[in-house]
Amino acid sequence: MSATIYKSKPSLRHNVFAAGYYAIMMMLSVMFFYPMYWMVISSFKSNRKIFSSPFSFPEKVDLHNWSQAWKIGNMSVYAMNSLITTSVTVAFILLFGSLAAFAFSKLEFKGSKLLLAMFVLGLFMPLQSYFIAQNYVFEFLNLKDTRLALIIPYIAMGLPLAVFLLKAHNDSLPKELMESSRMDGATDFTIYWRVILPLMMPGLSSVAIFSALNSWNEFLLALLYIQDESLKTIPTGLLAFSSRYITNYHMLFSALSLVTIPMILVYVLFHRHIVSGLTEGSLK
Amino acid sequence: MKRKWHIAPYLFVAPAVLMFAFAVLLPILLTFSFSFFKWKGYGDMTFTGFDNYIRAFKDKIYVMSYVHIFEYIAFTVLLEIVVGLALAGLITLNFRGTGLFRVAFFTPMMLPMVIVSYLWAFVYNADFGLVNTLLHSLGLDSWQHVWLGENKTAMISVSVVSGWVFAGFYMTIFYAGIQRIPKEVYEAAHLDGATEWQVFFRIKIPMIADLIEVGLLLCILGGFQAFDLFYVMTNGGPNNRTEIVTTYLVKIVFKNADVGYGSALAVLMTIVITLIGVLFNKLKPKDAGKLEY
Repeated sequence: MSATIYKSKPSLRHNVFAAGYYAIMMMLSVMFFYPMYWMVISSFKSNRKIFSSPFSFPEKVDLHNWSQAWKIGNMSVYAMNSLITTSVTVAFILLFGSLAAFAFSKLEFKGSKLLLAMFVLGLFMPLQSYFIAQNYVFEFLNLKDTRLALIIPYIAMGLPLAVFLLKAHNDSLPKELMESSRMDGATDFTIYWRVILPLMMPGLSSVAIFSALNSWNEFLLALLYIQDESLKTIPTGLLAFSSRYITNYHMLFSALSLVTIPMILVYVLFHRHIVSGLTEGSLK
Repeated sequence: MKRKWHIAPYLFVAPAVLMFAFAVLLPILLTFSFSFFKWKGYGDMTFTGFDNYIRAFKDKIYVMSYVHIFEYIAFTVLLEIVVGLALAGLITLNFRGTGLFRVAFFTPMMLPMVIVSYLWAFVYNADFGLVNTLLHSLGLDSWQHVWLGENKTAMISVSVVSGWVFAGFYMTIFYAGIQRIPKEVYEAAHLDGATEWQVFFRIKIPMIADLIEVGLLLCILGGFQAFDLFYVMTNGGPNNRTEIVTTYLVKIVFKNADVGYGSALAVLMTIVITLIGVLFNKLKPKDAGKLEY
């Protein structure tokens, strides 16, 4: 395993082994990347070319298809809606989650066990156990076809994990911190805001990444609660777009590329944080 | 020392509790109560007792949807957990540049499932899709299929997509676990003449048993809640071959306007998921992942 083992015998056998290893890894990487690469090259082709030579590199890389898809696909509207929904959701999950986590971890109060148990339940309850009734509650309150119809459930769905992760972070902070601040006459809220919140940053960023991805990618509720074209987010917007241009393959490929490329760029730029945020979020 | 009853803590938890109670807890209770009624989603509600539940057990499509989902879960455990483990094993061999491969394997996880579904619907396209074109260029024309449209290939085709997305995710989790193992363990193993195979099966896998368990639970629960892939790629077809609990639920409630029945199906699904969670807790070895070293 360790480097010293291999270094001690820099043999032909090891070199062959290494070559085989890289060959396998390259092949696997191609399997993971090729579909995305294919999507992008197809987006530059005409429908006819997509059919006649699906593997070939496009004759010229022309962004015309993309700009057309962006325009007629309403993509700027969807992207803006996704951005608004996601950022509002994340902000509230962080605020509500950290407030609750602070109280659960550092303050004593009656019923805290019961309320915490409620969030445990939330960790395991699938969307399917509540979305039917939620739909009719929202209909009754005229919330459907408003931004809140997505923001409210996304916040509620993100809270259990947020409360747990942040509570775990809080539990690891020394008790003395609270006590000494209280001696200095700080109120609970000041302690939360000035002392605890800054120390919760790593936990907050995990929660932010996790909830941002979830709400950015959410599909089922977006499908059920939003019919208004001007309020659709990217996943359902794309669905609407594709059903209108069902056989217009180069447009569909362009729309897919338009959504995918920024996400891959964000990932490549921030992959360290994203990966640690996601794995921490799911392992705790 | 104990502080008196104080309102502050309640103010801290109130926003989260109220939000959660309104958007999740209340609807769970309502779904449960809807399940005892015949209701179209508007107009009159007729109390029918357990009729909806009895109907569910006689509903062939519903019963089959569980068979399908177990089939899907079996495939995804293989394609996500097992492949994820293999990738984690490969990536933790002592070679340079594995970080790059790690990034590559994880990338699909970043894409919205809807995008993935459309992309793969194209990959499986019978006329210009990658799979059939590749088979054609290899001279294997007889192996071509209408992948998402044939009974015998539809489920495995959808599962492969899920594997493509999540294998890298599980790899990352297992990778993190393997990194925790102290270097001395490997050194001792190598001094004893252990091969890389032995290191993988005797050290790496046992020492991340706890993570494999978490992964399995995530994979099974995730499988039950699968929706986007199926909705976009097959919508339950062909001939209900890929009908799963979630796609069927949506059809019953929003297409057939049979809200009471749909609610009963949702309650049953919640019970099944809860049982699986409980069973998992019962079955798991007490000291998994706490092997001494």
